[in-house]
Amino acid sequence: MTIKKLLLALAVLTCMTPVLAQNQDTANALNLFQSLMRGQTAPAAAPPPTSPGAGLANSLLGSLTGGVQTAKPGAGDLVQLISQSLEQIDEAKEIQIGRQLAAMLLGSKPLYPDMAMQRYVNQLGRWISLQSPRPNLPWTFAVLDDPGFNAFATPGGYVFVTKGLLDRVKDESELAGILAHEITHVTAKHHLIAMNKAARTGLLTQVMSSQLKNNLGGMVSSQLLTLGRNIYTKGLDQDDELDADRTGVALATRAGFDPYGLVAVLQQLRTASPDDTFFALSLSTHPPAQLRLDQLELAMGTQLDAYSGQPAVTVPQRIASLAALSRRRTAQAPAQQAPAKKKN
Amino acid sequence: MILRKYGLQAWAGVFALTLGAAAFAQTEAVLVKRAAQLRDAPGEASRSVVNLPLQTAVTRLGERQGPWIKVRTADGTQGWVHLFDITSANTASTGNAGAGALRSITSFFNKGSAQANASTLPTSTVGIRGLGVEDLANSQPNMAAVAQADATRVDENQARQFANAASLSSRAVNPLALPVAPAKAYAPGTPAGGGNSQFQGGG
Repeated sequence: MTIKKLLLALAVLTCMTPVLAQNQDTANALNLFQSLMRGQTAPAAAPPPTSPGAGLANSLLGSLTGGVQTAKPGAGDLVQLISQSLEQIDEAKEIQIGRQLAAMLLGSKPLYPDMAMQRYVNQLGRWISLQSPRPNLPWTFAVLDDPGFNAFATPGGYVFVTKGLLDRVKDESELAGILAHEITHVTAKHHLIAMNKAARTGLLTQVMSSQLKNNLGGMVSSQLLTLGRNIYTKGLDQDDELDADRTGVALATRAGFDPYGLVAVLQQLRTASPDDTFFALSLSTHPPAQLRLDQLELAMGTQLDAYSGQPAVTVPQRIASLAALSRRRTAQAPAQQAPAKKKN
Repeated sequence: MILRKYGLQAWAGVFALTLGAAAFAQTEAVLVKRAAQLRDAPGEASRSVVNLPLQTAVTRLGERQGPWIKVRTADGTQGWVHLFDITSANTASTGNAGAGALRSITSFFNKGSAQANASTLPTSTVGIRGLGVEDLANSQPNMAAVAQADATRVDENQARQFANAASLSSRAVNPLALPVAPAKAYAPGTPAGGGNSQFQGGG
């Protein structure tokens, strides 16, 4: 127990460090650190100075939401919001939270530097999202430069897949199945709800209730980071994953894809040895593939079989044909200029 | 003789990898989990080649068309079966589906700590690479990368153009109902999965 607290305190201090350096508020943090070590929450004394950092965060977040709200929440307030009431998180705040968590994920792995590929997953993902219950979110899809096999979503419409995943899917329907699964996490607010639960019940409450939020106004709330790291390493509840499987299969089918794409991926995951490090985090943060397959079989039966039968297109084939198409388009568009250019 | 055989296999392996890595890697030992027909083409209406009784061991080949996968029987006959009619030979041999499998995976990831239950899936992360726990713990938020990702967004029109180019059109599809306790047939078309009792609460 004591070790756990110590680790927590260290974790909090670690993620605070850069922001602290920025705010020159080390003494305050040490104070908090010590109170955490003693297992107490920080005393709610010392009126919160509105730091320039907090103001920056406010204005940035405000510009994101188009400045609709009169009282714009800072990052700390977002966290407080998460721990209190889910109903109070409107779509603009949901997007802010998701953006910060996206920054956390992108802080651990960079974007894969292939614009054609980034564009392709955006086209594919956006098309699927149009069939979802929330077609108007600012859906953003990105490929992370990582050899592992994984996919993530953050609230508000951010969906990430690893380069390793793109390399390993056998065809587009598999990728569509995975994207539809992640899109469902967003539309059903699975992460938001999980963070809410963790903030209310978990060990993080003592961080929440501290005055930390008032003093650390970095671009990304360190508390939100702590909460996010917790959720993204632990994974969602099993029921949420099974829901995303089921709803995702219907969603991908609605978008015109072979309904069995996700099933095929899960069979591949099932076959993968847990020793295979490429699949390791997928396996550790998701219910076992066999369980998910069993549940999908129960839900699907053969009722979607009539929707299959499309010719399989691999990801490289699709990217190549899209590139050929855009070459043809650009060749046609400046048709009048083309001869002029080639004049001599 | 044995050496020669292995040598041949190695060459065959290299050959297969060069020709079609995906298909080669996909080969997998599977078991028939409900009596089925081996069909000469994908589809329920295709001609039956041979009966596949329960527990028949077959080799899964790389090809899939919708729910139909290509397999090879022990005597070398190739044909198609519905992918819900087969199960991984490994899964079957450990004899645990559902909750049992959950536990075995969980314990795998928590090699040291003996007990771990389903709701607290592993936080122990021995040997995890890729976007792992360490990566997340050490990451500093990168807002610039988020802005870069934001810039790659496409709008609704661009998405529809893509769908058009890819010959994808939207279709009306009912949501899939949550399977309840498998003993009760929940919806028409849902197979009554015998012995699947890991979900009493209905997920």
